Amino acid sequence: MKRFLGIKTPAGILPTLGPISVWIALFVFAPVGVIIYFSFLPADTAGEIAAGVSLKNYWLLLTGDTDYGNAILRSVLYAFITNMVCLAIGYPTAYWIARYGGRFKALLLFLVIAPSWSCYLVRIYALKQLVGYPGILNDFFLHLGLISSPINMLYTPTAVVFGLIYIWLPFMVLPIYASLEGINPALLEASLDLGASPGWQFWTVTLPLSKGGIFGGTILTFIPALGDWLVPLLIGGNKVWMAGNLIQHYFIVRGNLAIGSSMAVILTAAVVLLIYMCIKLGGEEAVERIV
Amino acid sequence: MEEQELLPCVEIRNLVKKFPGVIAVNNINLKVKHREVFSLLGPSGCGKTTTLRILAGLETADDGEVLIEGELINDVPPYRRDCNLVFQNLALFPHMTVEENVAYGLERKRIPKAEIRKRVGEMLEFMQLDGMESRYPVQLSGGQQQRVALGRSLVLKPKILLLDEPLAALDRKLRKDMQLELKRIQQEVGITFFYVTHDQKVALAISDTIAVMRDGKLEQVASPEEIYDSPKTRFVADFMGATNIFLGRVIARSGEEIKLETETGLKIVALADKESSSKEIKGVCVHPERINVLPTGTDVKMDNQFKGRIVGMIYQGDFVELKIHLFSSKEDEIVTARLDARLSRKDSFAAGQEVIGQWDKEGSSTLQG
Amino acid sequence: MKSLRSDKVLIVLAIGGYLLLWGPIIVLGIYSFNNSAFGVKWESLTTKWYVELFHTSAIMDSVLRSLLIASVTTVVATGIGTIAGYGLFKYKFAGRRFLRMSILLPITVPYVIMAGALLVYFTQIIHFPLGYPTIIIAHISFSAPLAVFVTLGRMQRIDWSLEEASIDLGANRLTTWRKVTIPLLLPAIFASAVLIFPWSFNDFTITYFVAGVGTTTLPLYLYSMLQYSLKPVLINAISLIFIITPTIGILVLSYFQREKQFTR
Repeated sequence: MKRFLGIKTPAGILPTLGPISVWIALFVFAPVGVIIYFSFLPADTAGEIAAGVSLKNYWLLLTGDTDYGNAILRSVLYAFITNMVCLAIGYPTAYWIARYGGRFKALLLFLVIAPSWSCYLVRIYALKQLVGYPGILNDFFLHLGLISSPINMLYTPTAVVFGLIYIWLPFMVLPIYASLEGINPALLEASLDLGASPGWQFWTVTLPLSKGGIFGGTILTFIPALGDWLVPLLIGGNKVWMAGNLIQHYFIVRGNLAIGSSMAVILTAAVVLLIYMCIKLGGEEAVERIV
Repeated sequence: MEEQELLPCVEIRNLVKKFPGVIAVNNINLKVKHREVFSLLGPSGCGKTTTLRILAGLETADDGEVLIEGELINDVPPYRRDCNLVFQNLALFPHMTVEENVAYGLERKRIPKAEIRKRVGEMLEFMQLDGMESRYPVQLSGGQQQRVALGRSLVLKPKILLLDEPLAALDRKLRKDMQLELKRIQQEVGITFFYVTHDQKVALAISDTIAVMRDGKLEQVASPEEIYDSPKTRFVADFMGATNIFLGRVIARSGEEIKLETETGLKIVALADKESSSKEIKGVCVHPERINVLPTGTDVKMDNQFKGRIVGMIYQGDFVELKIHLFSSKEDEIVTARLDARLSRKDSFAAGQEVIGQWDKEGSSTLQG
Repeated sequence: MKSLRSDKVLIVLAIGGYLLLWGPIIVLGIYSFNNSAFGVKWESLTTKWYVELFHTSAIMDSVLRSLLIASVTTVVATGIGTIAGYGLFKYKFAGRRFLRMSILLPITVPYVIMAGALLVYFTQIIHFPLGYPTIIIAHISFSAPLAVFVTLGRMQRIDWSLEEASIDLGANRLTTWRKVTIPLLLPAIFASAVLIFPWSFNDFTITYFVAGVGTTTLPLYLYSMLQYSLKPVLINAISLIFIITPTIGILVLSYFQREKQFTR
């Protein structure tokens, strides 16, 4: 034991946890603290920062002409739909791998995860190539004579949501798979033995015991979808604005750090609220399943 | 009902089950009577658990038939069979309370809620678990969890209850208490038990019939007394503790009494079954507690007296075990004798002492394999 | 007897999932071998776009930049992340939960928020010029937590009595660390590196926010190409490489890792 700041600590704590603590303090907490501070520096949409500290920015965002309030609501809605559809596709996929994967489990799982390791931009671009115009599907349909003029599949809210689902799906599968694999097989056998049909077994045993995975997956899809700006930008064009778009717009394009900060803080609040709810409903296990 | 009782509760015919590289169950035939405790006893890997799981429906047989009360159930899935399994690690649902666990099987049967509550309540009381309804399995002791697992299966009133070494995880004292509990419950409820274990003491304590299994085959099926006193094969003898095994051939016989000459040159007198032929007898086995240890110089003429020297002693409190090297043999023949501590004290004998080892001809069993 | 109908639905959904994930990418890959520069009419099979790729110095430079950043990030992030995971598992202290949540913070919050915060921080507070250092710092902030949790996950399966044995036999802390602990953690370190390297190489959003002029990484370059839509087929080619290289790399490396574990 050594003494650190007067408190007894095991000798190994400082060298092992020291570096990362310092790093987090300098490059995570400090920046976050900074934008919280900046969010209170009143500025107008042109970027002029007035003196003093006030809540003017927040007021501006919620009532003014930046449309941020709507953007947040829109983002929540899209993220919610994305989450539900990812769950509807992701859970069966994870279940199928866990139950029927056999020797190929690792490979099948890898095939799900590999796209998420590819460059984000590339995946979006691939989607655009396929469904956009000029695009492969359009050309294909035109060629076959199924349509007489190209259909515009992009630049709509539906396309954006589809894009979000496409991008974030892998992150729903992994936590659910992990929690399914963690179920004691004797429990599944016991339920069959006691008279449960496979369907009943699923509802009464499998599903409740995979709850942690479901909420973990939710955290990993809802939140990124909420803050996503590339999908709405590239697939939605200038027509669909989500919270992330506005933040990026104000930070980078307009260089308005104060307003951008306020936007970021509001979004963060929404995220924290969501995480809190997921942990309350899904238990600590939800956090475990994230990695 | 009476007609059904004429049929065995469970019948297994020519059952075969193979896994890659090994034949787990190799042509087994057995019958279980109604309301009896039938134990499948054997070392790990002998195929007893596989047999149990085939009965439960969790594995499918490669060949053979499984019948419950005369009905073939090979293709019937586990949730439609009228038997229930108590798992070795209990498999209590961690996300359900005690009450919900016990009620699980009943809910599937579409019995009205009030009826379910009543039955569950009665079962919990019967299992001495009243007051524990709202607890979760993780909050219960080992013995309590055991009883929940039992109750969960019994409440469904199956024709036969399958038990997969349920006492294996308990400590010695708890195991002894639970043995009695199990027997009591079985007799009160009047249900057939199919019990699988590697512990011969448990099997002896609770069974009506024991089937000793090895490498996928049945070695002997008989009552506990018969399995203990008259093991028929080397394996069963060794497994049940009759560790003094003398292999040899019959050199003389008059009626039931035979004289056997062992490979080491000892001449042993024993009793054989009237029906058994001398050619079938391969040897004789004796339980350690049947061996009397007498000081040298004892004059009385008795069966099977052999001079020897004590080469080892183990004191266990309730008995003393002596390893005696018998002289009248061409090679090393070490015999284990177990002496009740009441009858002979620890210091009655010493290592290196010369003694006479003796047993009566009624105290041995002939071996046929 | 299984419920056949629900099984069918299961398979359909699962296959649908795989199609959704891989469909666009596979199509992209196929078209990168198309001879026509624009449009989608299939002309003939060619690899000329890949050849052109390797001859464009701007692209190759950006690849090098990405590699450099990814390498430094991987080394540092794996380093501080692994030892932090070790410490978090072994030592119990007040504030442990808080530290754990803090480490989780960067990876749960959407990138825009953290990236924006870092941008403000670098430019307004510590007045650090945007460029390689800022990108690397940002990348480390996001990937060190990954290493922490990968390590945490594997700590449970390691037999730590080996460390105690080492100390009992007379080795001091440092030697034990060198000869016992690090070798034990090698699979975890490897797994972290395998996760972090492609992540850093592929990252766009964070790099976009904190890169300065002249530090165009490959993803950034790709973005500018997308904006100006020059020769889409060239973009296809880059994209395919982008996908295949990390995928193959990880497959190969994981294969080796599994082998290593068996020979242990």
